[in-house]
Amino acid sequence: MTSTTSRRARHTVAPARAGSRTRSRWDRFGLPSLLLAPLLAVILGVVGYPIVRTVWLSFHEGEYLMTGAFNGVDNYTEIFGDPYFLAALLRTTIFAVVCVVTTLLISLAIALVLDAGSWAARIVTVVVLLPWAMPRVASGIIWKWMFNDQYGIANWLLVSLGFDSFKGYAWFNDGFASLVAITIAVVWHSVPFIAISMLAGLRATRGEVLEAARVDGAGFYQQLVRVRLPMMKPLLTILGVMSTIFAYQSFDHFLVMTTPPGGPSHSTEVLSLLTWLQAFTVLDQGVAAAMAVVTFLLLAGITAVYVKLSKEGT
Amino acid sequence: MTRRLIVYPAMVLICAASLFPFFWMIVTSLKPDTEIFTVSPQFIPHEPILSRYTELFSGAIPRQFLNSLLVAGATTLITGLIALLAGYALARFNVPMKRYLLIVILSIQMLPQTVLVIPLFVVLRNTDLLGTYQGLVLSHLALTVGLATYMLRSFFMDIPVSLEESAMVDGASRMKAVRLVVFPLVWPGLAASSIYGFITSWNELMFSATYMQQSSRETLPVALQQFFSSYYSDWGGVMAASVIFTIPVVVFFLLVQKRLMQGMVAGAVKG
Repeated sequence: MTSTTSRRARHTVAPARAGSRTRSRWDRFGLPSLLLAPLLAVILGVVGYPIVRTVWLSFHEGEYLMTGAFNGVDNYTEIFGDPYFLAALLRTTIFAVVCVVTTLLISLAIALVLDAGSWAARIVTVVVLLPWAMPRVASGIIWKWMFNDQYGIANWLLVSLGFDSFKGYAWFNDGFASLVAITIAVVWHSVPFIAISMLAGLRATRGEVLEAARVDGAGFYQQLVRVRLPMMKPLLTILGVMSTIFAYQSFDHFLVMTTPPGGPSHSTEVLSLLTWLQAFTVLDQGVAAAMAVVTFLLLAGITAVYVKLSKEGT
Repeated sequence: MTRRLIVYPAMVLICAASLFPFFWMIVTSLKPDTEIFTVSPQFIPHEPILSRYTELFSGAIPRQFLNSLLVAGATTLITGLIALLAGYALARFNVPMKRYLLIVILSIQMLPQTVLVIPLFVVLRNTDLLGTYQGLVLSHLALTVGLATYMLRSFFMDIPVSLEESAMVDGASRMKAVRLVVFPLVWPGLAASSIYGFITSWNELMFSATYMQQSSRETLPVALQQFFSSYYSDWGGVMAASVIFTIPVVVFFLLVQKRLMQGMVAGAVKG
């Protein structure tokens, strides 16, 4: 309403300004291009070019961080014949699935508690988001301290609860136990963002539909599963994609919490860590680039599947 | 009533799980070694000490803190500026291929960092930017501009176009209309994308560890990671360093949390 009147008003005012036609053309093409230029420069320079370069590198020899001769798909055949890479690929996938499922379930529980509404919800919301602000390196160190064998609070708690076998239990001497501890640390760090987003999603589902369901006698559980979650499907898809990618990319926690990185004896190597070590410790950037490309394709594939699934359902 | 019986204990549990690691980090950093290495944990330090902090502050930490502040500050400023301009353009103009551009912007956020880390190393080496602030800021922009632009675009879209138009009818140029009418309203969005940029840059480890090692411009995450791997059993010292590293982000976060929440919620709900 206001926009039509103002547009009409502009017509009467416009002739007073000189060169209104060049002005509108400037408004339509010149200005937006100028505004977008910095963004496009960054995207092309520090994202686009590196991607192309990584793909290119993955088909070349690249020892000591110098680009060598073209070697076809040698790097790819090498990594797919490398048991450590294949193990890392599988390990990262399992780790990601466990992380995503736990993160989403815990986040949903927290969001429901906060959505129940109370005077305290506002403060608790801020508290919930706090772990997100803690640097990952710091949180990795703190969790490692809490999982310390002799003096860690985790073992003390478990022993107090009656699990005597955890007395002096060395979490980081064994690949599986290390992964459990790391999973807890990573989930602690990734829940806040997902939980708060879910809370926003839950609040957006309040309204006539939910009211109608309530009037028809749907209980809390039925309202949630039959009405609210289906309404939140697009959001849940995005959150699923985000937490999957977040989990696949986990690097900081692994670098900080395992000694040597990826140890003991390669049992906690994940894709990001292995790729980084391959590039900057083994100094073979050709093979590392191939690993990065595989990770990239894998994540792109997972994203595509999520998007497809979410579209099929509706 | 039964609902309250579930909700309140649950809230207490949630807060405890969120806050305990913070609490434990601070408490450990204040305890003398004799109180840290005890069989059953001591929750309140009997003889709190600050010597760990004074020790750290006489070392390399102040410099590293400044390095991090510079890099994160510059990243935040540049990200904010780029995202503000691009967000406005994408919200207000019919840019050709806008749909694809938006998809590209969002998918940047999905890129594994390992895809970027090797070629950026080569680029920075060839341009003599390895170990410099500029180099690290450049690499951090790759991680921040996408989501920041997307967030700001959704904020601009919430502001009715008629506001600008009526200001322009009243004789204001577009610049003036945007500056006086639109910017005041888009502040929450700018705050949200700023804190996002700051936290991302301040916490970032992979690029920093690769490009800034053994340099006096080393940032805190790298320093902390190296400190931790060499003074592995000095838990009190490591905790104190972690506290120093954590405080700025938490303070910044608490200052702008209201705006941040609005921004994140806007970003998430609209997808």
